[in-house]
Amino acid sequence: MMLGNLTREIRFLARDRGALFWLALALILSVVAVSFGVAEVRDQRDTIATLVEEDAADRANALEGQEEWGSAAYYAFHLTYAPPSEFAFAAMGQRDSSPWKHRVRMLALEGQIHEADTKNADFGLVGRFDFAFLAASVAPLLLILLLYDLRASERTARRHDLLVATAGASWQLWFPRAFVRMIMLTLLLLLPLWIGALMEGTALSAIGQASFVLVGALLIWWLIVELVSRINASPSILLTSLIGLWLALAIVVPALSKAAIEANNPVPDGGEILLLQRETVNDAWDLPKEATMTPFVEEYPEWREYATIEGPWAWKWYYAFQQVGDQTVAPLVGQYRQARLSRDRQAGLLALLSPTSFVERAFEKLAGTDAAAMIAYEDAVRDFHAELRAFHYPMLIKEEPFDPNVLQRLPAYVPSATGD
Amino acid sequence: MTSPLEARSLSLNREGNNVLDGVSFTVAEGEIFALLGGNGAGKSTTLLAFLGFLEPLEGEVLVNGTSVHGDVASARSAIAYLPEAAALYGHMTAYENLDYFLHLAGKPASRDGLDAALDRVALPEEARSRRLQSYSKGMRQKTAIALALLRETPIMLLDEPTSGLDPVAIDEFHDLVKTLAQGGQTILMVTHDVYGACQVADRVGLLRHGQLVGSFSAGNGKRIDTETVHAAFAEREVA
Repeated sequence: MMLGNLTREIRFLARDRGALFWLALALILSVVAVSFGVAEVRDQRDTIATLVEEDAADRANALEGQEEWGSAAYYAFHLTYAPPSEFAFAAMGQRDSSPWKHRVRMLALEGQIHEADTKNADFGLVGRFDFAFLAASVAPLLLILLLYDLRASERTARRHDLLVATAGASWQLWFPRAFVRMIMLTLLLLLPLWIGALMEGTALSAIGQASFVLVGALLIWWLIVELVSRINASPSILLTSLIGLWLALAIVVPALSKAAIEANNPVPDGGEILLLQRETVNDAWDLPKEATMTPFVEEYPEWREYATIEGPWAWKWYYAFQQVGDQTVAPLVGQYRQARLSRDRQAGLLALLSPTSFVERAFEKLAGTDAAAMIAYEDAVRDFHAELRAFHYPMLIKEEPFDPNVLQRLPAYVPSATGD
Repeated sequence: MTSPLEARSLSLNREGNNVLDGVSFTVAEGEIFALLGGNGAGKSTTLLAFLGFLEPLEGEVLVNGTSVHGDVASARSAIAYLPEAAALYGHMTAYENLDYFLHLAGKPASRDGLDAALDRVALPEEARSRRLQSYSKGMRQKTAIALALLRETPIMLLDEPTSGLDPVAIDEFHDLVKTLAQGGQTILMVTHDVYGACQVADRVGLLRHGQLVGSFSAGNGKRIDTETVHAAFAEREVA
């Protein structure tokens, strides 16, 4: 019975040029979004591969001929990066507004992390047309356009009563008619995503969860359209009402949520951290050396016996005030990190009010491009920098004789798959 | 014996207006009953009540002895409904329209079956594979009548069925309806065409402001006297 109803409505849909246009548009947009995503991810991987190669050559070049531990540490750059995950093509998320690669040195770290905060400001403003945006914002619009006037257009054409009387029960007509459109839209959106996922080697669980999220969101929108379209009003009034609801749920609620979260969780910007750290480091040149070495040995008591600086210059003093620069901004960095995590948590809760925000966040989480993943990458950079310090400090602070062979054992940054 | 169609003291409100007020009638098996009335008399509303689209304020409507609101689906499955100026799908051919609606009714028919019904309503063969948007109003109405025939239901509800048909087609339609009734189909038609109603119906009811104010039947195989009905219709209209 149900199969017969679906077959009937599939044949009916095949003759409905208006619906076919919106379905074709859905397929085209999905292909475009996935293609852009795959191209961007491959471009980022190529960039990383090139940088990895150049980074190694550049470091080898910088270390050649060095005769001091201090200058060797000073001139060697180290590439850190968060490679895009196998699902990042579907949701670039925070990768467009947060840095995913750095070249760090043994100098004060936080400034090196945060001086990249302002990159990609254009994408931060306009956003990217990726699959997550398509699924979260455009797919509901397409669904509205496919379903809003199923009943109203038949009423306008004075066909409604004949149709329902012929069907016997109302649901035998409207449910299969809407269901076929919903399924076709879902399949046409998902098909390019699945192909992209196959090309990228995405895990089946991620594909399954992403498909589930999309279907769930479209089901919610279907319910909304169904409730509104039951109102006995003209197609234009129904469309206006549904577009209004879409605007409210896709734009107004997320914008108000974002404003409320930001007002509730003030975050020091990266510039403040950068400035404070540079001031601390620069001021150290003019301060008595004890002013630097005292806080340094409070952090590293094991170097207390080497903390006296007798001459006007010593590499260990230089690196100590770089270290103290990081120590000075540590509370601000902690505050910045916690506030971002807190904003993210609250955004997750408020996303329950907006299917659009929920879908975007779900896709970004699956893709490892959400705020948590980017913070995890920053933490990975800090961990790597701590390894660098742990490697260099014994030679620097004890002022051991320079041995270039030791530099062969320099720590290498090893990224996790999603940057976390 | 249970009548296929029965309205019992039926009163109905639509958008706050009292459209039907205590209307009672029955239509026997194989009978053609025509409800006559002017605009806004409540004719189409009566049909919609039998189809379960409108809930009675008072009284009830029964199809084959069962209250329509107790089992709408069962009532609708027994009825073929031909709405006024039935708008079938203009972007589909006659074949496609009939195929779609018959599948919707759960009674698909073969191409030969469709042709047989279209032959009965005299829709030209060359037109059957054309989209309905190229049809005249009469051709569309014939297609809708063919759909009603193909449903093969025991009851037909016809709303202004000859609207848009030319005189020859109207005569052919009347003959068709009579044939169906002779075959046992029960037919309730609503119209404001006094002459047509008297030509085809076994019994004519006169609706005015939602009340059934008169009933006319011929009996003994004769036709209902058009002049009598017309006089009653006109008198009541000016009264």
